[in-house]
Amino acid sequence: MLTRRSAGQAGRQRLAAAYQGLASGGTDRREFLRQAGLGGVGLAALGTLGTQVARAQVAHTVPDRAVPARRIKNVCTHCSVGCSVIAEVQNGVWTGQEPAWESPINRGTHCAKGASVREIVHGDRRLKYPMKLAGGQWQRLSWDQALDEISEKLLQIREKSSPEAVFWLGSAKFTNEAAYLFRKFGAFWGTNNIDHQARICHSTTVAGVANTFGYGAQTNSYNDIRNSKTMIVMGGNPAESHPIATQHLLAGRELNRSNFFVVDPRFTRTAAHATDYVRIRPGTDIPVIWGMLWHIFENGWEDKEFIRQRVYGMDEVRREVTKWNPEEVLRVTGVPEAQIKRMAQVFATQKPATLIWCMGATQKTVGTANVRAFSILCMATGNVGSAGTGCNIFRGHTNVQGATDLGLDIATLPAYYGLDEAAWRHWCRVWQVDYEWMQGRFASKKLMETPGIPSTRWFDAVVLPRDQVDQPSNFKAMFVMGHGGNTVTRMPEMVKALEKLDLLVVCDPHPTTYAQVSDRQDGTYLLPICTNFETVGSRTASNRSLQWGEKIVEPIFESRNDYDVMYALAKRLGFADELFKNIGVKDGVVVVEDILREINRGTWALGYTGQSPERLRLHMANQQHFDITTLRGAKGTPVEGEVYGLPWPCWGTPEMKHPGTHILYDNSLHVKEGGGTFRARFGVERNGETLLAEGSYSKGSEIQDGYPEFTVAVLKRLGWFDDLSAHEKEIIGRVGGENIDRVSWSTDLSGGIIRVAMDHGCLPYGNAKARALAWNLPDPVPMHREPLYTPRTDLIPSLDQAAVLAADPNAPAPAGTYPALRDRRGFRMPHLGLTVQMRSHTVAREFPIILTSGRLVEYEGGGEETRSNKWLAELQQDMFVEINPADAAERGIRNAQYVWVLGPENDARVKVKAMITERVGKGVAFMPFHFGGWFQGEDRRRFYPPGTDPVVLGESVNTVTTYGYDPVTFMQETKVTLCQIRSA
Amino acid sequence: MRDNPDGKAQARRRFLGTLGFAAVAAPAAAFEADGGTGGLPPRKETEAERRAPRYRETDHVRAFYRTNRY
Amino acid sequence: MARLKFLCDSDRCIECNACVTACKNEHEVPWGINRRRVVTLNDGKPGERSISMACMHCTDAPCAAVCPTSCFYGTADALVLHDKDLCIGCGYCFYACPFGAPQYPRVGNFGGRGKMDKCTYCAGGPQQDNTAVEYMQYGSNRIAEGKLPLCAEMCSTKALLAGDGEIIAAIYRERVQQRGFGSGAWGWRTAYKQELTV
Ligand code: SF4
Ligand code: SF4
Ligand code: SF4
Repeated sequence: MLTRRSAGQAGRQRLAAAYQGLASGGTDRREFLRQAGLGGVGLAALGTLGTQVARAQVAHTVPDRAVPARRIKNVCTHCSVGCSVIAEVQNGVWTGQEPAWESPINRGTHCAKGASVREIVHGDRRLKYPMKLAGGQWQRLSWDQALDEISEKLLQIREKSSPEAVFWLGSAKFTNEAAYLFRKFGAFWGTNNIDHQARICHSTTVAGVANTFGYGAQTNSYNDIRNSKTMIVMGGNPAESHPIATQHLLAGRELNRSNFFVVDPRFTRTAAHATDYVRIRPGTDIPVIWGMLWHIFENGWEDKEFIRQRVYGMDEVRREVTKWNPEEVLRVTGVPEAQIKRMAQVFATQKPATLIWCMGATQKTVGTANVRAFSILCMATGNVGSAGTGCNIFRGHTNVQGATDLGLDIATLPAYYGLDEAAWRHWCRVWQVDYEWMQGRFASKKLMETPGIPSTRWFDAVVLPRDQVDQPSNFKAMFVMGHGGNTVTRMPEMVKALEKLDLLVVCDPHPTTYAQVSDRQDGTYLLPICTNFETVGSRTASNRSLQWGEKIVEPIFESRNDYDVMYALAKRLGFADELFKNIGVKDGVVVVEDILREINRGTWALGYTGQSPERLRLHMANQQHFDITTLRGAKGTPVEGEVYGLPWPCWGTPEMKHPGTHILYDNSLHVKEGGGTFRARFGVERNGETLLAEGSYSKGSEIQDGYPEFTVAVLKRLGWFDDLSAHEKEIIGRVGGENIDRVSWSTDLSGGIIRVAMDHGCLPYGNAKARALAWNLPDPVPMHREPLYTPRTDLIPSLDQAAVLAADPNAPAPAGTYPALRDRRGFRMPHLGLTVQMRSHTVAREFPIILTSGRLVEYEGGGEETRSNKWLAELQQDMFVEINPADAAERGIRNAQYVWVLGPENDARVKVKAMITERVGKGVAFMPFHFGGWFQGEDRRRFYPPGTDPVVLGESVNTVTTYGYDPVTFMQETKVTLCQIRSA
Repeated sequence: MRDNPDGKAQARRRFLGTLGFAAVAAPAAAFEADGGTGGLPPRKETEAERRAPRYRETDHVRAFYRTNRY
Repeated sequence: MARLKFLCDSDRCIECNACVTACKNEHEVPWGINRRRVVTLNDGKPGERSISMACMHCTDAPCAAVCPTSCFYGTADALVLHDKDLCIGCGYCFYACPFGAPQYPRVGNFGGRGKMDKCTYCAGGPQQDNTAVEYMQYGSNRIAEGKLPLCAEMCSTKALLAGDGEIIAAIYRERVQQRGFGSGAWGWRTAYKQELTV
C-alpha cells in the first residue's frame, strides 16, 4: 500500500501552466475573500446555480397575514455543543431563526454555522432526487427503482461473496435512534463491518478513557467549566471548533480569574484568549504531560489521598516519568523547563483544574496513549470527579457521542456490550429474535464475534491481496449514510478502491466527495436524505445530555429521512419484520419514539434507559428552569433536581426518575442524585493487589469501601436478593435460565438489580480504582513514540537498529530513541508501524516540513453541507495552507499565491493558496480539512450531478496525509506527517 | 417567557412564509440587491412615522441583557 | 429615551462570524454585501484581537452630512437609516464613513454601483414596519417587533452588545470589574463622541 504510483503526471503538466496567484498583502485568512471582490470566483460559482426548482414559482405572491408563525425547537446539527435552534415556520416554510435564550447550553447564541442552518434546509444545492451513474452520466430515477436495484445488487453480493463483502458506513450526524437502527441493521445483515466518524474523531478517547475510568466520555460538561480555576486546552481549538463552549470557557476565565493555558503547535484563535500559550512540536503530547508529572512528583504536588483511595498502578507511571527530566522534555518537545514547571504547578495546586482536549490529542498513532496520559495527569492531581475538574473531552459532530454510545462501531453492539456471545444473547433478547437465527445471518460465529474493518481502512480491504484480509471476501460494495469522502487519510489510495467497487451507495443531503472524486462510470447511487431539521429524534451532546429535536419542516424535494429509508431497504433485503419487531411502522413511516423506547429497554450498562421520549420532551419544554452552571432543574418546576438532558448514565427505568449524571465519578453525591465511583470493569484483583476502591465511596453508600459490579450472586451474598420484586425475579429468571446467579445489572432486563443497588446507595457497576496502568493495552503505561513521519530522525532507531527490533519482539528501544510499534495485524488487516517510520530516514530531507490539519469555524467535517451554504461559503472561498514566514521566504513564496503541497506517499500533491503567518512555527504547515472537489490540481466540479456542486470547492488535505494508525482503534494520523511546499 | 410581545409585527415573516411550498422549500432571496421594491407597491411612512421611537424593553430584550451578564 | 448603540467586547470576540451569518439569515442579504464584518488585528500573533464591525449609527453621522440627496434620516432611537428610493449610489457616504459600513451592490451588465445598503440596526427603513416591501428593500424590522439586532442576540461569546447605550455600558463595566481587564469600547469616541469609563 506504500508503493509509489506514477500518477500525478497530469498534475505536473498543469503545474507549468498554472497561473500566478493574486497579489499579496493579506492580513488574515479572509483577506483572500476581499481580494476576490464582488465579481470574484465565489460569485461566479454562485452563478452556476443549477436547478430552478423553487425559484421561478415563488416570486412575489401576495402575503397571507392570517398565518401565525410556529416556533419549533431543534438542535444545531453542526457540533457536539448542542445549541438549541428555534425555527419560525409559516405555511410549512422555515422563515426565520430566533435566539433560544432558555437553552442552558447556548443561551440564545450560535456560531457562524448555527446562525445559518436555515439555509441548509432551503438548500438549492441539495441532492433533489435519487440518481445513478450509468455510463459516466448521472440519471434521475425513482426511489422505488433505486431501492430495487440497490437491494438486488446487495443480495447478489451477499450470495456470492458473503455478507462481509459490504461495508456499511454510518454517521455521527444520525440521531440516536437512526444510529442505533443502522447498527442493528448491520447486525441483521450479518456483519460487524459497520462504522462511523467516531473512528476518526474520538475513538482513541473512548478507548483510552474507558480503559482508565470505566466510561469513555467527557467527565464533566461545557457548563461546568465555569467552575474551573485552571484550564488547559491541549490539542483543541474551541474558539473555532466549539465556539459556544468558548462562551463558557471565557465566562469561567473571567468569573474565577482563572489560569488558561493553550498547548498547541499553532497559535490558535483560542490561544489568543489564553493567559499562557505553550508551543510544542507536533506529536509530543506524552513528553509534555510526563514532563509536567516529573515536576509534580518531584515537588510532591500530587494528590496522595486520591491516588491511594482511587487509583491503581500510579507507581509504574512514576517509573516512566523519571525519564522525562526537563532536558529530555526540551530535547523532544521544544518546550523550556520554566513553562512546563509553571503549568504543572498551577494545574496541581490551583484547583479545580480541567484538561480539555480534542482531535489534536486523538488523531495520532499514539492517540489512545495520549488520552491515557492526559487522564493520568488529572488523576494524579485529584482533578477528576468534582465540579470544575475533569477530562473535558470536546467531541466533534453533533451526535458523535450518541452514535458511539449506541454501538455504530465495528467492535461492539450498542452501549459497549462488546461482541461476545453474552453480548449477542443480551441484544437478541432485547430485539426479541432468536440467537440462532441471528447467528445464521453471519458467515460464521467467529466473524460474528470478531471486530470488523474500520472506516479508516475500508479501501485497503478492497485492494489488498485476498489473503491479507481475514474475512471471506474483500469489500465489493460500500453503503454510506452521512459520511464525507474526504475526511479519511490517503485519498489517492481511497480513490483507487472506489473505482474497484461493484456498488457504491451514498445516502446524504449532498452528493459528497464520493460522488465525484473517482472515475467510476457505473454502479453509483445517490439517495437524497433529509437533514435532522426535517425529522425528529434525540441527539447526545458532548456532555452526555440528550436533546430531542422536533421536525421543523417536511423533507424538501424528494428527500426522505434515515429511518424510512432503512425500513424500505430492510424490506427489500428481507429482514424488515425482524428488524422492526418492536418498532412501529405506519405506511412506511417509522415511529421514532419506539426506537428510543427499545434503546431504553436494552442499554442498561450505559444508563440510556431512563431517558424516555416523554422525559426528553419535558426537558426541551422546560429549558428555562435549568441552572447554567450546575444544569440542575430549579425547585418547584416540573424538572426539579434533574440534570438538563438527563446525561447518561441515567440509571434504571424512566419510572425510577434518576436525574441523570452531570459529573461522572463524583462521589460527593448519592447515586440517586447522579453520584458515582470509578467503574469496576476489569476484575477485583490483579497480582494480589486490589482493583477496588479503598475507603472511598459515593455519598450514602451502605458499602463503605470498594465493591464489584452487581450480579444476582452479589445480591445474594449481601442478603439483598429478596429486595427484588416477584416480577423482577421472574424476568431475571427468564434471562438467566439455569443459572440466574450470573445475571448482572447489565443484562437484567427488569432493571431490578440496578434498583436494589441504588436503594442501598450503591453504583450498579461497582466501586473500583481508576487504572493508571492498563495492562491490556499495547503500552500499559503510555510511552512516547515518534510519529511515523518525523523530521527528527535522531529520535528514531537507525535502519540497523530497527532490523534488530523487528527480529526480536523483546528487544528494548535503543537509548535516546522512541520507535513506533512493530508491524502487527489488527482488525482483520496488516498494521505497519516501524517499517513506515523507517521511511522517515529517506523522505525527511525531501519533505522537511511537518504538516498538520484542523478545523475552521465556518465549515464542518468534510464540508459538503457547509460549503454548499452560501452564507458560510462567502466567508471562506479558498483552500489554503498556513506557512511560517521563514519557510515561505526560503521558497520564494508570496502571500495568497498558489502553491503545491507535496506529500511523501503516492506522489500526492495539492494546489492551494499560501497564507503566510506566524500562527505556525517554523517547519510546520497547517491545512484545514473541510475542502473537497479538487483533486491533485484538477477542479472536478463538472463531475457533480448538475446543480448539486457546493459553492466552494478546494483540495482535500487528506490527499497528502499519510499512513499511520493507532494500534487500539485504527484511528488515523492526521496531525503529524511531512510535506514539501513549492510555488505553483 | 413570552418571546414575541408584539403580535402584529409578523408581517415580513408571513411574507416569506407564503413564498414556498412544502416540497420545494426555498424562499426567494427576498432582499433585493438593487434596492428596488421587487415590484411591490410602496408603503412609505410619513416623516413623523419614520423617526418615531420603536425600541421597547420587552421580555425578549430583557432576556438579551440578562444572558449577557454572568 | 434610550440611545441605541453597539459595543464589541474584543476580549470576548473569537472571530466566529455568527454575527455575520445571523445578519445574512435575518435579512437574506445577498452574496457580496456585508452589513457586518469581523476584523482581526495581529492575526496569528500574540495580542491577536477581533472586532465585529458594522454601521455604528453615529451621533452627527458623517455619511448623512455628505449625501447629496439627503437620503439619510435619524430616528428617535438614534439610529441612522436611509431611503433607497432617493439614493443615487454616488459612493460619497462610503468615503465619509469611518467604519466603512456603506456597501454598493453591482448592478446591470457592467457592474455599475447600485443603491447603497448598510446595517439598519435591524430596524428596516422608511416603508411601513414589517411590510413585504420594507423587507424587500431593507430587510426585517426587529426593533419594531420588540427585539434587538440578531447579530448581537446570536453572538457566540456574548461579545457583541446592542441595545440601550446605558445598559450595555453597565454590562461592559461589570465585566471589566469582574475580570480585571478590558480594552475599551472600540469605536465609541468616533461614533458617539464619548469614551466608556470603567
Ligand atoms: S456548530 Fe456547535 S457551537 Fe456552532 S451553533 Fe452549532 S452547536 Fe453551537
Ligand atoms: S444590526 Fe441587523 S442589519 Fe445591522 S449588522 Fe446586525 S443583523 Fe445586520
Ligand atoms: S459572533 Fe461575537 S464572537 Fe463571533 S465574531 Fe461576531 S462578535 Fe465576535
